[in-house]
Amino acid sequence: MAINFKKIIDSGWTNFKRNSYLSFAATSIMALVLVLFLGLLSLQFLSLQVVTSLQEKIDISAYFKTDATEEQALKIKSDLSILPEVADVTYISQEEALADFKARHAQEELIQESLEQLDSNPLAASLNIKTKDPSQYASIAQFLENSSLRGVIDKINFYENRGVIDRIESISRGVRSWGLIVTLVLALVAVLVTFNTVRLTIFSQKQEIEIMRLVGASNWHIRGPYLAEGGLYGLFAAFIALAIFYPAVYFASDKIAAFAPGINLFGYFITGVPQVVLMVTLLGMFLGMVSSAIAIRKHLKI
Amino acid sequence: MIRFQKVKKIYEPHNVVLDNIDLEIKPGEFVCLVGVSGAGKSTLLKMLTKEERPTSGKVFIEGADLDEIRDREIPYLRRKIGTVYQDFKLLSRKTAYENVAFAMEVSDAAPEEIEKDAPQILSIVGLGDKLESFPEQLSGGEKQRLAIARAMIHRPSILLADEPTGNLDLVNSYDVVKLLLKINELGTTVVLASHDTNIVNSIGKRVVSMDRGKIVRDQTHNGRYVI
Repeated sequence: MAINFKKIIDSGWTNFKRNSYLSFAATSIMALVLVLFLGLLSLQFLSLQVVTSLQEKIDISAYFKTDATEEQALKIKSDLSILPEVADVTYISQEEALADFKARHAQEELIQESLEQLDSNPLAASLNIKTKDPSQYASIAQFLENSSLRGVIDKINFYENRGVIDRIESISRGVRSWGLIVTLVLALVAVLVTFNTVRLTIFSQKQEIEIMRLVGASNWHIRGPYLAEGGLYGLFAAFIALAIFYPAVYFASDKIAAFAPGINLFGYFITGVPQVVLMVTLLGMFLGMVSSAIAIRKHLKI
Repeated sequence: MIRFQKVKKIYEPHNVVLDNIDLEIKPGEFVCLVGVSGAGKSTLLKMLTKEERPTSGKVFIEGADLDEIRDREIPYLRRKIGTVYQDFKLLSRKTAYENVAFAMEVSDAAPEEIEKDAPQILSIVGLGDKLESFPEQLSGGEKQRLAIARAMIHRPSILLADEPTGNLDLVNSYDVVKLLLKINELGTTVVLASHDTNIVNSIGKRVVSMDRGKIVRDQTHNGRYVI
């Protein structure tokens, strides 16, 4: 059975135009759904960015006693760096610590002066440790506690930071799992709304479908143009949604950057323009066609 | 051509619509099916397009048992039978031309064939200048003539007309009947269900009378409306 593809699209397009009021309603609702979807996507992106940047700020440091030698410190450093959970270990010698300190307080004369009064360097050498996952800081601290060179370590600042680390970790876990659940639930609601709208559109043409059947149209002859019409709803909805979304992101981007510096929402969506456009268009058309297919099914029973 | 064999239709629980119908219609016949509303005329016609199925008994068209036609083959059956209804059943979102073209498209007619045949049949029924009109822009008589054009586009061997004049005035009714007679002269078997005495009496062909689901009279020649 050779059903002319172009013919089906043509007739879907004709239906779309002649049914302009219903088409407009269905398209607008689908556009809103797609905007909601894009919004969820940005929210997901933003929250992950915030959490990640917080995570990058967490680390633990082990401060050495002033009599510890550099070999001892480097020995601990190499012991640590072979652990699988460690992302990065940096050794900061006493001199570096002092230089850092001076640089940080360069404007404060009192501090500069008092440093010059001292004969020896009052700052301790330290190891700065970052792990791949914040939940692993406890085991790193444990590892240092049990080290054979525990004697040369003055203090491990994990214990002071523990509360903050735990909090950030639980926030990030929450954002990941709850963000996903909320996104899925809203996406489901969006699909149901779209489906219902298309179903009403098709229901209003129940009689037409029955007549087509009486004239001897096979199921695919009836379904074809409705699928094309559903696809067109999705296509136009996708264009509308993108036309709303991009300017909105452009204006919101400045405000977001103001309270969370370093996060460029607009840049994120601009670099991914082809992917975003393709994804939203395909999603819209898929939604429209699947809704049509499901909605028309019950009218096709002979 | 058409044969009903002990056809019974019972709507649950015990509403007997058709009661042991035995009827044979030969090729090329013009048959008027008469009776008051609810006598079972429409149900009998719907058996032929498989819109209704008998509770018991058999229906044959051109020797084929309709029981053996599977659901997905029903569209093919319907393309062989033209149908005209009291309420026209036109596609309201399509123009006159598109209504006819749609019936051709569903049987996979070539586009050139559609472009040639559809305007032709519309001018035969007198709608040559209304190709782009939508059904709501047509009068009752024009709608029915459009429906007949659509029914005839496949050159079906059978045309079923269920109260085609029910919604029309006298002049338009006679136009429709004349059209049906012309179609019959060209060799199509026509079954006309009607409760309009004047129309039936003016035709003067075979008349089958039904009452409460039974055939009560079958006048093979120059039949009159009697029950």
